[in-house]
Amino acid sequence: MKKSSSYQTKKRYQFESYCKSVLRNETRDCYKEDERSLKQESLFSELDCHEKNQLYIMDEYFAQDHFFNVLGNDVVVKGDELAEALSSLPEQRRDILLLSYFLDMSDREIGEKLNLVRRTVQYQRASSLKQLKQILEGGNTKDEYK
Amino acid sequence: MNTSKKQRRQPLPYDVIVQATEGNSEALNAVLKHFDGYINTLATKRLYDEYGNTYLYVDQYRRQRLINKLISKIVGHNAA
Repeated sequence: MKKSSSYQTKKRYQFESYCKSVLRNETRDCYKEDERSLKQESLFSELDCHEKNQLYIMDEYFAQDHFFNVLGNDVVVKGDELAEALSSLPEQRRDILLLSYFLDMSDREIGEKLNLVRRTVQYQRASSLKQLKQILEGGNTKDEYK
Repeated sequence: MNTSKKQRRQPLPYDVIVQATEGNSEALNAVLKHFDGYINTLATKRLYDEYGNTYLYVDQYRRQRLINKLISKIVGHNAA
């Protein structure tokens, strides 16, 4: 079906403007994306030292690790300070802490293993935590608990 | 297609438009050629160096993106 020439002319101009709109809008999208990525991205050369240090980690290979033996299980504790504080605790309290926080055991399970009442385990765990906190923060208070 | 300056300002022929919307590759090429100048203008970026000089360059990635967008919008467009 042949359309009239005035209709064709109209369509030609419409198509022209349609294409230009498509291109114009896409360009605007490009600019918006560029702006957005500029906000979120930063150059390596513009990072300060602290931010650069966050970009990598070093493998440690047990350099600072300490081993505790609890009921036949070896528990790895990372960090000198924490290990020192743990070893200064009485053995039973240390065992409770290790079992509950490093081996993910519940108070009831720990109580069964150590022949203690669940309530005792809970109390000792809570107070040992406080004790640990004091040792790590102050360093001089451990004698009170012995 | 040897077109003089005067002819180039004319919109695309109706037949080419219809064929381009149907996905005819030759017609699409004609459309792209028709809008080549406009696409290059839109894809041009300004760069400034430390002495304040301005450089213009055509961002090829953006150019290709515009072309892709144009083609995807033309094909299937109801122009007839």
